Amino acid sequence: MKMNTLESEDSKSSDFSSTDEISLLVIILDTNPGQRILRDNPRTLTQCVDSVIAFANSHLMQKSQNKLVVMACHSKTSEFIYPNSDKPLDVRQVDGQYEIFTLVERTIKRNLAKMIAAESTALCNESLLAGAISMALCYIHRIQKTKPVGCKLNSRILVVTGSGDSAFQYMSYMNVFFTAQKQNVVIDVCALDQHLSLLQQGCDITSGLYLKIPQLQGLLQYLLWVFLPEPPIRPKLVLPPPVKVDYRAACFCHREMVDVGYVCSVCLSIFCKFSPICTTCHTVFKIPGPLAVKSKKKKMKL
Amino acid sequence: MTTSSEEILLQVPHVRYKKGDGTLYLMDQRIAWMMENRDTVSISHLYSDIKTQKISPEGKAKVQLQVVLHSGVSSTFHFINRGGIQEQSADRDRVKELLQTLLPKFKRKVDKELEEKNRLLSTNPTLLQLYKDLVMTEVVTSEEFWTHHAVQYTQAQKTQQQAIGVSGAFLADIKPQTDGCNGLKYNITADIIECIFKTYPAVQKKYIEHVPAKLSEAQFWTKFFQSHYFHRDRKYVESKDLFTECGKMDDQEMKKDIQTGVKDPLVDITTFVDKSLDECYGMEVEKTPGSSGTVSQAMIKRFNQHSIMVLKASKNKHPEPESSDSSPSNVKGVEVSSNSISNGISSADDAHVNKKIRIQEKITYEDLDSSNDTSNASKSILNLSKVERYLHGPMPGSNAEYLSVNDASSINRNILNECKQWQGGRQQTSNLVSPAAAVGALGELSPGGALMRGFQEQSLAQLVPSDIEKEVRNLYLSLSELLNHFWKCFPPTTSTLEQKAVKMHEALHRFHGTKVKPFEDKLIRELSPLSYHLTKHLNQLLNVAYQKFNNWQKMKTLHR
Ligand SMILES: [Zn+2]
Ligand SMILES: [Zn+2]
Repeated sequence: MKMNTLESEDSKSSDFSSTDEISLLVIILDTNPGQRILRDNPRTLTQCVDSVIAFANSHLMQKSQNKLVVMACHSKTSEFIYPNSDKPLDVRQVDGQYEIFTLVERTIKRNLAKMIAAESTALCNESLLAGAISMALCYIHRIQKTKPVGCKLNSRILVVTGSGDSAFQYMSYMNVFFTAQKQNVVIDVCALDQHLSLLQQGCDITSGLYLKIPQLQGLLQYLLWVFLPEPPIRPKLVLPPPVKVDYRAACFCHREMVDVGYVCSVCLSIFCKFSPICTTCHTVFKIPGPLAVKSKKKKMKL
Repeated sequence: MTTSSEEILLQVPHVRYKKGDGTLYLMDQRIAWMMENRDTVSISHLYSDIKTQKISPEGKAKVQLQVVLHSGVSSTFHFINRGGIQEQSADRDRVKELLQTLLPKFKRKVDKELEEKNRLLSTNPTLLQLYKDLVMTEVVTSEEFWTHHAVQYTQAQKTQQQAIGVSGAFLADIKPQTDGCNGLKYNITADIIECIFKTYPAVQKKYIEHVPAKLSEAQFWTKFFQSHYFHRDRKYVESKDLFTECGKMDDQEMKKDIQTGVKDPLVDITTFVDKSLDECYGMEVEKTPGSSGTVSQAMIKRFNQHSIMVLKASKNKHPEPESSDSSPSNVKGVEVSSNSISNGISSADDAHVNKKIRIQEKITYEDLDSSNDTSNASKSILNLSKVERYLHGPMPGSNAEYLSVNDASSINRNILNECKQWQGGRQQTSNLVSPAAAVGALGELSPGGALMRGFQEQSLAQLVPSDIEKEVRNLYLSLSELLNHFWKCFPPTTSTLEQKAVKMHEALHRFHGTKVKPFEDKLIRELSPLSYHLTKHLNQLLNVAYQKFNNWQKMKTLHR
């Protein structure tokens, strides 16, 4: 990879030299059969799963202590598909491949197939990504608690999804994003199909990377190039620049983004127009004089 | 040219200036030198321009006097009286002494302001930059600059006048240095002197009496530090020096303080007695006769006095003339009615009431008051409807779609079939990434690629050398200052605002011409690819202002 010459001088090699530093990567793969890319072409699933497995193995290959967790996320459930919850599969060496890699592939595919077979017929194209992320955060928290003393664990979550993000999960999303930020967990998002503005906020909040890939055929290439490097060395690489994230709030009345809106001083509801009675808390406001409209009311920029 | 109205205070012939012989004149406004046999003055300095004068040291071959101006320029006059070195020195000294009396008068008038401005400029780099960019380039005049653009600095100056209190250890902080031959050298600054005066008003009194009439300042302070007054035990009775009286004055002052007491009904320091624990148990201690007491008592007394004075020093600034009490509780600002103790018959009752009030103050907390609780009942309870609106994000609703059972089962079947292929061992069907797709992805992720938009701008910012960057920053600083004043004029409701708008508009044009344009030319010469980008926004700002001004002018002519 290309080094960004400007910052290479002050690079701290200590970030990576210590053998006590472990990197834990949790990959959340959206395998909801209802998402558009899978409906249109079921073969895409194999391509995505294989790409993710190759990417996961690359992560394990970078350092023998590196840890990997893979989760599958559907519209009603999310499950850990690697490592196995009970005893690990029995794998022998195949074609001279490192056993762990074979184990990763076998375990993921087996558990995923099981999960898809159990999928109900009531399909929805919305996946419970927020739930999956919170499960991942719990897992990371558990590992943090039980890790040996003196070992440093860098955790991150990579979400690979073709679903859209929905307003229904808004609160859950915000909760997991800020939890992740607090726990120093970086959330990376690789969007396969649609632009995900909520998850993009999550990346921004946790200083992760958001990438909507232009073509699915090159998925592995995007994953390896953009998401394989650890967060500490990313500043030294030439990676897609962070996009300005739109943090504007939506008004309660029309659900439209507002630059400047009216905020009820009692219940903090946001409105795009002044109304003498707050529709949330029913507080009655004085109608301001025609001249003093701007100064009398609380304005809030979001 | 000397005008006839000027009074000549001193005229000294035989003064050489730059190899020319002539006469030195000290007039009421300026110092001047005229070449022999000429009738025009070749050197003339206003006293207000003169910063200092310097003289050549005693015993040097040349007897000279130099005046140094605020601008840094200096003129040296060489006294060449044929009467010899004594006469020359006498000439020089007459000039020196007269200058010495004249210069301070002018200094007070002009320099106070000038020095203040200098100080402001040197302590505020931002202001200095503004000054450089706006005044030195004549975009605005110096007067305008100080009245309009430096207001917040000059005003901040005014608000900063809170007096600094006296450090409790300031005397200990004056560390004497040994001079090597059994002497001590004290370095005292104006601040320390101020502190000494605040703590020992008696010393200030002495200072005013003696300096400079009887003693020089240095002599005074030497005496002070040598005095027993300054030294620890302060058994001043035995010695007789300048400060003996001070001790007595202090004693009186202290007595007064003790009598006044502390006007806090909860504290009664007048009942305090210097008693050791032994005495309370009936062990009599021989009282040493005389008021001077032991050395340690003198020490304690001194500490007490020092504390009282330190506390007073911080209190004197209060507008109320209640500086006589020095209790710490009063310093904290606790309100005590001051007429409580001193008022004849009713004082006992008053004191009682005051005490009650004070105790009440100490034991009640307003916000814990039960009356507050009862008022809460009348408050309305927050009654929210449509709470779910808080939970939705800025997304336009859900785009979830539910598939029909038929569709769903067919999709599930397809996906399951796909999964089944995985179980049939490894299949080396196709590459995971085709070379073309990989190259395409790399292209998008390389600088200039579709996914790297915004990266280019970043590198553009890196291309700007730091000096240019600084220049741009300075341009913004000055322009914002001007624009700030320009836009403040709108709407120009008064004629002063109108005038100011016109003035600021002119200033903007001047700034444009003297700063922005040359900078742009320089950019084109030195950094051609950047020239346009760097000043684009500056120009935009200027143009918006110009447009506003022109529109306003147009409106004005229309209305006429
Ligand atoms: Zn609205
Ligand atoms: Zn409200």
